Amino acid sequence: MNARIPLRISQFGLRGVVGAGLTPTHVLDFSAAFGALLGPPAKVIIGRDPRASGQMIREGVASALMACGHDVIDLGIVSTPVIQHAITATGARGGISIGASHMAAEWNALKFFGERGSYLSTAEAGELLDIYHLKGFDFAQWDALGSYSRDDSAVGRYIDNLASVFDFPALRRFRVLVDCCNGTSAHILAILRDRHGLDLVLINEQSEGRAFAHEPATDQRTVRMQLAPLMRHVGADAGFLFDVDSDRVALATESGGAVSEEMVLVLLADEMLTLGPGDTIIANLSTTALLDEVAASHNGRVVRVPVGRNATADALAGFPPEKIAIAGEGTGAVMMPRFRFVYDGIASMLAILTMMHRRAQSLGSILAAYPKYSILKGEVPLESHRIPQMMDDIESRYPSARKNNLDGLRADFDNAWFHVRVSQTAPLVRVIAEQRGDPPTALFEALMDTVRSYNS
Amino acid sequence: MSRAHQLKISVSGIRGVVGGFFTPNLACAFAQAFGTYVGPGRVILGRDTRSSGPMLEHAVTCGLLSAGCEVVKIGVAPTPTVQVFVAETRARGGIAITASHNPPEYNALKLFNAEGLFFNHYERGELLELYHQSAFTQVPNAEMPGIRFDTETAPRLHIERVLRHVNVDRIRARRFRVALDGVNGAGSEMSVRFLRDTLNCHLHAISVSPHLPFPREAEPKPEVLGDLRDLILREHCDIAFAQDPDGDRLAVGDETGRILDNDDVLALAVDCVLHRLKGPVVVNLTTSSAIDDIAARHGCRVYRSPVGEANVVDRMKSAGAVIGGEGSNGGIIFPSVQYCRDSYTGMAMLLDRMAETGMTASQLASTLPVYHRRLGKAPFEHGRLGALMQSLEAGFPGAATDRRDGLKLTTEDGWIHVRASNTEPILRIAAEARTPARLNQLYGQAESLL
Repeated sequence: MNARIPLRISQFGLRGVVGAGLTPTHVLDFSAAFGALLGPPAKVIIGRDPRASGQMIREGVASALMACGHDVIDLGIVSTPVIQHAITATGARGGISIGASHMAAEWNALKFFGERGSYLSTAEAGELLDIYHLKGFDFAQWDALGSYSRDDSAVGRYIDNLASVFDFPALRRFRVLVDCCNGTSAHILAILRDRHGLDLVLINEQSEGRAFAHEPATDQRTVRMQLAPLMRHVGADAGFLFDVDSDRVALATESGGAVSEEMVLVLLADEMLTLGPGDTIIANLSTTALLDEVAASHNGRVVRVPVGRNATADALAGFPPEKIAIAGEGTGAVMMPRFRFVYDGIASMLAILTMMHRRAQSLGSILAAYPKYSILKGEVPLESHRIPQMMDDIESRYPSARKNNLDGLRADFDNAWFHVRVSQTAPLVRVIAEQRGDPPTALFEALMDTVRSYNS
Repeated sequence: MSRAHQLKISVSGIRGVVGGFFTPNLACAFAQAFGTYVGPGRVILGRDTRSSGPMLEHAVTCGLLSAGCEVVKIGVAPTPTVQVFVAETRARGGIAITASHNPPEYNALKLFNAEGLFFNHYERGELLELYHQSAFTQVPNAEMPGIRFDTETAPRLHIERVLRHVNVDRIRARRFRVALDGVNGAGSEMSVRFLRDTLNCHLHAISVSPHLPFPREAEPKPEVLGDLRDLILREHCDIAFAQDPDGDRLAVGDETGRILDNDDVLALAVDCVLHRLKGPVVVNLTTSSAIDDIAARHGCRVYRSPVGEANVVDRMKSAGAVIGGEGSNGGIIFPSVQYCRDSYTGMAMLLDRMAETGMTASQLASTLPVYHRRLGKAPFEHGRLGALMQSLEAGFPGAATDRRDGLKLTTEDGWIHVRASNTEPILRIAAEARTPARLNQLYGQAESLL
C-alpha cells in the first residue's frame, strides 16, 4: 500500500482524504459501480454526515446513481442507522452513506447498503470492486435517467421505530450526558429530549463541517477527554460518546470512569442472552474474551469472524435470525436483532439504559460485577513483503497456543490471547493482547518487539 | 464518414448523447477543469429542460465544488439569463447545461467567463489543455465551498436589462396579441411572465411546460413551426415568437401566419437598433447580405466574422458594434443588454418597433431587401477537405474569396459559403442570391463540385 496517498479502495469500500486522495472521479466511478450492482432502476437512499466535503461527494453520488437510472432520495445530514432504516421503511433497493465515521474531518468515505439496509456480503463487496475496476457501468439512456428528491421525514420515522422498541417513559428517569462529536447524533438526540422527554444533556452538539471538537473515535481515550470529567458535574447516570455517523458508541460511568470500548458489546451481549431467544454471539477475532465468559454463563456461544463488516454480514447470513443474540465489534459497534441487525449507537445507548432500568442498577455497579480483563492495543507500520515471515516467526514462538488463522494470527492461552493482523484500511500491523486480570504487558511488548524487528 | 457523432470534446466544450457517451464522469471532469481555470469563487450554474439536465447538474456541481468554486444554482434558466447573471453578480464564471437547438438526447456544457461571455478561442484552448492533463485543483475539506440556490434573481436582472432599452409603457398600451411557442424549454415560464405580465400582451402560448419533452424539432426554423402558424391565424395574433430550448435563438411569425426567415429576424433587429443608434454591425460570414443593405441605408458599416457566437462577440467588441448576430440560427446580439444571443431582447425590440411605428409585423418585414437563401449540408471524408475547397474555388472564377471560415465565394449577384461544422462531421453549405434561378444555379454548382 502507498502510505503517501491517503486513499483506500478495498472490499470495505472507498475512503480517503478529500483532495489529497479522494477525488470526484473515485466517487462517481464507485457510485456508478454500485448503481450497476443494484441492477434494474430502483429507489436508492443517500445521506451524509456534516463534513463540508460531504456536499461535493453527495452531488457526485447522486449524478452517478441517476445516470444508472436509479431514483435518488436524499435524506440530507443524517446518521448511518437512519439511512439503513429508511431503506427498509421505503422499500428501497439500497443506499449509500457518505461520511468517514470515526475518522478525522479531512477524510470522507462511502458506505454501501443493500436491501433492508444490510451490509454488503464479502461476495457483493468483491463484485462491487470488480465492477469498479472494469468500469462495467450500466448507464441508462437519456430518457430513462433517475430523479433526485429530498426526504426530510426519515429521522421522524426512525425515532418512531425506536419508540416502538424502547420504553421511553421508563428511561426518562435517567440523566444522560452525551458527547455528540459534532456529528449526526445531535439532531436525533435533541428530538428524543424535546419530544420524548428523555433527560439528555448534549455536548459538542453543534453540527460541524470543517473541524470537530476532538477526534470522533469511540474509545476509552476519547471518553476521557471531555465526557468522563463532566459526569459528576452534570450528575449524569450514564455518559455516551458517538462517532460522527452515530453507528458506534463509547461509555462513561456515573462516577466519571471512562469505560473500555470493549464493554459496549459485553454489556449488551449479557442483556440479549438474558432476554433471549438467541444464544449466539458474532464477534470478530480482536474482541475481548470476556465475551466468551459471559456467553458461557448463559450457555451461549461466540462465533469469531475476521475483522470487518462484510465478514460479520457473511456470518449473520449463516444463522436463522432467532439464533442470534447479538453481533458486534470491540469498537463500540453493536447490532441487535430487535433493532434490524444494524450497527446503531443510539439504539445501543437506549438498550444500555433499558438494562440499567430493568436491573435497577447503576451503570458502574453493573460493570463492576464483571471479572477484570485488561487489553493492550498497538500498531506498527510494516512493508508488505515482510509480513508472511513475521507471522510465521510469531506463530513459531508460541507453540502451545490454540491458533486461528482466519485473519492474521489469533492465539489463545488459558487466560490470555493475542491477535496480530494487517489493517485493511491502513498500511499497519495491529497487535492486540488481552489477559484476565492485569495487563499482559510482557506478552504485548514481546509481540510488539517482534513485529518492530521486521520494520527496518 | 460513418462514425456516429455521439460525443465531441473540442475547443467548443463537451457535447454528446447522454447514456453511455456523455457520462456524469465527463461532465464532472470538465467542470473540474473549468473550476480550476476560473479559480476559487462563485460560479453560476443553470440548465435547460432536457431530461438529462438534473443528472448533469449534480455532476457539474460535484466538479466545481471539488475545484473550490462556490456553486450558485439558478435552476432552469435561459442561457442569456445565465450570462447576464454572471456579469451582474461579478461571478468567476458560469456554466449553462444545454445542447441548445440539438435533439433531446444530446446535452452539452456552455462555458462563460467572468463577463458572462463565451470563452474566447485561447481561453477554450487552455481549458481543454487542463482537461486533458487532468491537472485539477482539488481543495481539502477545510476549504470546501458550498452550494447556494437562487432561482428568482437571475430572470429579474435579465428582464430589467432588456427593458432599459425599450419603451415599456408604449408596448403595454398596445396590448398586442402575441403567440408564443416555448418548445417546453428553459424560457417557457419566464417568457410567459415577460410577455403576459411585464409587457401586458394578450398571450396565446403553446409548449410552455418545462417538465414535458420538446414537442417539435428543437431548432426554431420555419418548417417546424406549423402549430405556431395555426395559432397566429386562429387567435388573430399580431406577432408570434418561437424559442429554442435554451432561449437564445428566436423565430418570428407575422400576423399573416408567415414565419420569417431567421436571417430576416436578425435584419429586423439590426434595422430597429440602427434607427436610433448608429454604429458598426457585426454578423457572421453566413449571414444574409440583407444586413449590408440595411446598414447602408443607415450609413453604417458591416463587419463579418467566422461562424460561432464567440467569434461574432470578439469581433463586435473590437469593432465597437451596436448590434450583431448570426442570421442563419436566429441569434440577435445586442451588447447594451449583454454580449450574447438573446431571444428576450429580440422580442422586446420588435414589439417596441411595432408600437413606435404603428406598423404590423408583415409591414416591417416588407421593408427588408429580398434575397433567396438555401442552407444545406453534406458529409465529407477527412483529408478531402482541401481538395474540395480548391475545386470549389476553381468552379467560380472571378468570385471574391474569403477564407476566414471555410470558403466564401462572393459574386456580383450572390454568394456561396462552405465550411466544416465545429460541432458535427459535416460540411455546411449556404448560398444566397437576388433571384431563385441564380440561387439554384449557385447552390447546384457547389453541390455537384462537392
